[in-house]
Amino acid sequence: MSRQDVAADRVLSLTLKFGAYTAFALIVVGLVLQLAAPWGIKVTAAGLVVLLATPVLRIIVACLQFLRERDFKYALVSFGVLAIVVLAYVLGIQS
Amino acid sequence: MTLAAMLLLVAIGFCAGGFGALAGVGGGIIVTPLLAIYFGLPMHQAIGVTLLCVIATSTATSSMYVERHVTDVRLGMTLELATTVGALIAALVAHHINRRTLAVLFACFLLYSAGSMIKKAWGSRNEKREEVIPDYTPQNYPIGLGASLIAGGFSGLLGIGGGPIKVPVMLLFMKVPLRVAAATSNFMIGVTAATSAYVYWGRGDVRVDIAAPLVAGVFAGSLLGARISPKIRSFYILMLLVGIAGWLAIEMIYKLLTGGFQ
Repeated sequence: MSRQDVAADRVLSLTLKFGAYTAFALIVVGLVLQLAAPWGIKVTAAGLVVLLATPVLRIIVACLQFLRERDFKYALVSFGVLAIVVLAYVLGIQS
Repeated sequence: MTLAAMLLLVAIGFCAGGFGALAGVGGGIIVTPLLAIYFGLPMHQAIGVTLLCVIATSTATSSMYVERHVTDVRLGMTLELATTVGALIAALVAHHINRRTLAVLFACFLLYSAGSMIKKAWGSRNEKREEVIPDYTPQNYPIGLGASLIAGGFSGLLGIGGGPIKVPVMLLFMKVPLRVAAATSNFMIGVTAATSAYVYWGRGDVRVDIAAPLVAGVFAGSLLGARISPKIRSFYILMLLVGIAGWLAIEMIYKLLTGGFQ
């Protein structure tokens, strides 16, 4: 494994951790707030939105890492995955 | 929702996430039937909620596997081209499949998963953990992509991760070491489940009130589980999961025979 790949893994791992902990924190705070105030569910829902957005963020970060490594083949693969996921999002909104 | 129901959902999420991370299997297969059988959720909603749990497990645990360089990010990305297509098509189709048919399919998958967990537990009895990952080059991409398409389809249809399909194919046909195959499959699950979750979310099949406490529990359980998993032998946890999966399959079949899941 190259040094660039080791660094890329680190950035990717941090992205996933950032998404996971942000979503977790928002959901827990939202659930506690919900007990006192009905609008707490908005904070909870925001946590779920962060959770749903994290995989997409992960694809974008990986794509940028591949571009930086000048590994255009896998940058293109990542872009393809991103395109399919965005298509799913668009179709999801419409249905 | 009452506080008691909320805490119960947190506890279910914690067990599913924790056992899943400890045994290296997705906890999703026990969440859907629990919601459908004991919480009376329609199958589509139970699946929509489970997809969020599956994303949570994948995100929490794969952050650690990527950090330890066990995950093959390039292989994962490539196979995701197929899993996402399968997940998208299946999520669109799932809407038109009636609840009883989904329940029958799910019961079959539960039994299949129980079988593959027994096999995994049997293999793990005397295994020495492979400390160093041997050199490898993934082979047979067409077979891997085909299996990923099917795994993605099952994910979108039943809200599961599809690990029991992808891992053996990566191991046997693509010649990827077991630990790498398991970590890479886990890595792919987040993106795959998110693809179908968008469709379920758009249709209103993701109940925020039920998903949130479950996801909170799953996060806590899988983070803890992934941290202590290197120190624990998975045999007994796998057998426990086999028991739970078997019991839920029997409950689902019983409910189907007595006219449930309408």
